[in-house]
Amino acid sequence: MKHDIFKVRNIGISAHIDSGKTTLTERILFYTKRIHAIHDVKGKDGIGATMDSMELEKERGITIASAATFCEWLDHEINIIDTPGHVDFTIEVERSLRVLDGAILVLCSVGGVQSQSITVDQQMKRYKVPCIAFINKCDRSGANPDRVIKQLREKLGHNSVAIQIPIGLEADFNGVVDLLSMKAFYFDGKNGEIFRTEDIPAELLQEAVKKREELIEAASVFSDELTDAILEEKEITESMIVTALRSGTLSRKLTPVILGSAYKNKGVQPLLDAVTKLLPCPHDTENEALDMDNDEAPVILTADPKKPMVALAFKLEEGQYGQLTYIRVYQGSLAKGDAIVNVRTGRKVKVGRLVRMHASQMEEIESIPAGYIGALFGIDCASGDTFVSPGLSYTLTSMYVPKPVISLAIAAKDSKSEVNMSKALNRFTKEDPTFKTYVSDETGDTIISGMGELHLDVYIERMRREYNAEVTSGVPKVAYRETITRKAEFNYTHRKQTGGSGQYGRIAGYIEPAEEEFIFDNKVKGGAIPTQYIPACEKGFKNCLAKGPKMEFPVTGIKITIDDGASHSVDSSDMAFQAAARGAFLEGYSKAKPVIHEPIMKVVAETPTEFQGTVMGSLNQRRGIIFGTQDEGTMCVIEAQVPLAEMFGYSTILRSLTQGKAQFTMEFATYKQVPQSVAEELMKKAAEDKKGSQKK
Amino acid sequence: MLENGFILRHPLGKLTGCESEEILPEGGFGAVMARAGVGKTALLIQLAIHSLLCNKNVLHMSLNDPVKKVGLWYKEVYRNIASQYSIADQEQIFENMLPHRFIMTFEVEGFSVPKLEERLTDLMEQNIFRPHVIFIDGLPFDESQIEPLSDLKAFVKNHSLKAWLTVRIHRDEKPDLDCIQAQLNSVEDLFETIILIQPEGKEIYLKALKGGKPDSVATGLSLDPTTMLIKESDWIKRT
Repeated sequence: MKHDIFKVRNIGISAHIDSGKTTLTERILFYTKRIHAIHDVKGKDGIGATMDSMELEKERGITIASAATFCEWLDHEINIIDTPGHVDFTIEVERSLRVLDGAILVLCSVGGVQSQSITVDQQMKRYKVPCIAFINKCDRSGANPDRVIKQLREKLGHNSVAIQIPIGLEADFNGVVDLLSMKAFYFDGKNGEIFRTEDIPAELLQEAVKKREELIEAASVFSDELTDAILEEKEITESMIVTALRSGTLSRKLTPVILGSAYKNKGVQPLLDAVTKLLPCPHDTENEALDMDNDEAPVILTADPKKPMVALAFKLEEGQYGQLTYIRVYQGSLAKGDAIVNVRTGRKVKVGRLVRMHASQMEEIESIPAGYIGALFGIDCASGDTFVSPGLSYTLTSMYVPKPVISLAIAAKDSKSEVNMSKALNRFTKEDPTFKTYVSDETGDTIISGMGELHLDVYIERMRREYNAEVTSGVPKVAYRETITRKAEFNYTHRKQTGGSGQYGRIAGYIEPAEEEFIFDNKVKGGAIPTQYIPACEKGFKNCLAKGPKMEFPVTGIKITIDDGASHSVDSSDMAFQAAARGAFLEGYSKAKPVIHEPIMKVVAETPTEFQGTVMGSLNQRRGIIFGTQDEGTMCVIEAQVPLAEMFGYSTILRSLTQGKAQFTMEFATYKQVPQSVAEELMKKAAEDKKGSQKK
Repeated sequence: MLENGFILRHPLGKLTGCESEEILPEGGFGAVMARAGVGKTALLIQLAIHSLLCNKNVLHMSLNDPVKKVGLWYKEVYRNIASQYSIADQEQIFENMLPHRFIMTFEVEGFSVPKLEERLTDLMEQNIFRPHVIFIDGLPFDESQIEPLSDLKAFVKNHSLKAWLTVRIHRDEKPDLDCIQAQLNSVEDLFETIILIQPEGKEIYLKALKGGKPDSVATGLSLDPTTMLIKESDWIKRT
């Protein structure tokens, strides 16, 4: 390792699914001589792209787990995280952006700025990650880089500036004209590995001059030297423009645009040049930690290998040799044999093997200095944990974790699968903070929840493949509840005289709605019910709450007051009063106008404004109450409350309604009464289910 | 929306002389004028809550605040009103109001009347929401707005709506009535009613500059500086 921090680039490659990120990464690894052959993403050759190391990824042609890798270009060390493009795996993108210093935003020259580009762009904004744009697939029919540059401005608000123009487009795409050096670049050889520089073709010269002027004008805002050179009509050198562009890029006020076609092996080498010239090194970015010993006061970390170590575990993977923890060192240096402390648990651990990842292959290293990304073995931790040198108590700001939006009930098919399922769930929840699992108190089902149906599908599939756990999944039952809406009185006598000792107990009082789940109030005077039977009365009432008389949903929000009763010196017992309480509850409950409550979710949908009406309509159809809409330029945020029962499958519907451009989050808001028509439906369904189970 | 036993009057009735009915005619414009921070939004929301309690659908448009903040404003103002007038079952009434209120927020530079019309048509055509009154908070009020305001007036008239708008008086302007009148001159014709919120010492007075009773300036209402509710107007009365 070279350990020159100014020549380190930690970059991510983010974009919409199918924009060609994995193909691009594959080409980068080929040109940087990390691999010696190129494979397809979909693995037609049976091998698959190097970055798609998970079997499932190769099969589906999508990148799920972001594999980290590193390569070298022009004396620079580049750490690359290949991130998934599908919205359901957004946490992977979020995580990589948290630890990266810069990013390549890959856009399809035909599809332009798509929904996921919008999402990742917002994420880049959140983590203030500077980026350069790569307009890929310029060889495709319908390729229009100018339109994409315009969309970058209009849809994402980027100050996008082309630093190249294409030489031909679609099937005639041959290379690019570099506006910095004013040269034409061609990519010869079987895999485009022979990089040829020529003079600009005469027919493109005029356009190139014009575009260069535009580029210089845009860059001049970020450099006084360049501005002076323009005003004084001095010679404008390539380095002047690069310095200005870099300054604009680092401040996120300018986005240089590079063109190419990774699949056709064109334009990748100039992109690598741009990464080294325009994206920041770890020294250029400011990272902050919170000092736990000093009331969480923010502390600026410096990428100095001599200072005490601070590092973030940003990804966990279960590998052949145990848990592999991807880590970025922000300060100090992490070396083999070091003792480090996990700030969350306070546990001290010794660093064993340190590796540098190259997708699923790895290279043993001695240390990871500040600014670098690596991985370590044999450390038990969770994703997002901070590791520090002993004596320090810093924590890196926790990563933003989006809330799960969808849940499914799952069940293991047999006892062996159950054990494996439990192991798998334990692992997945550690690896992925957006994946949650719990056992429903009310239904007893194991519920998994995550960022989308595909997200959960992939985990169910992984349980089968990696853990040999056969799992069935279904739609989870919505946790309905019952309650009452008015006060009602009861006066019930339980009397039983059928041989043996009899049973007798009378309870009178009233039942009324309450804010709390259950309140029991004893106002019995004069020993009408002997004191020793009062707990039995309360227990009798409590037992009725688990399954409501109306629909067998749990009963909540109820206050029961007993104020009178009667007992028998021989026939009264705890059991008799429990039975009397049951009878009293049923009597009062039926008169107290019982209703069913359902969970209502707060739904926030984010959509391009052109789909606003469609999205509102879809929420309205789902019995949603739309509270408001917030116009944010090209995007619009819709806030609504929608019953959970109506939200299953909504992510798929929303995607299809909006060409995949809208997304939504939802969280529990409150319980509300189910409308009469829905209650009738539920009752009908419950009756059918009951009939069905009786037949069985 | 209120339970039996209450009579609702218009909160500004004492100023305008129409206590038991709507102040604005169909297609009418009302303005709530004040300097920044004096209570325009609070008063606007009191008027909106009055409309909601009268079972009218309210569209609240804000060019300043996000939906969440506007929602909090309503909650806060309603809570103060409910405790001032001892309304029982406060929470339920507020819950019942929500489906009758729609909040729309825009970025100031992104707002235009055609855009509003497009959004509203979306809502009405799909039977999602059909407003009776629009409350607009934060629309810039200068010479350049004359045309959009005229368009808005036409829009409100075409849809048989009424609209209340907040008008911000610039701090550098003297608070005397003539100066304010001068600021309003260019658009005054568009408004049927203009209410000025004017702090004087420790008091915050409401004065009707247009559409009020002849003696409204003398018999003006005032705002409670702690709750920003109208003090003298018992607009919710027990029978």
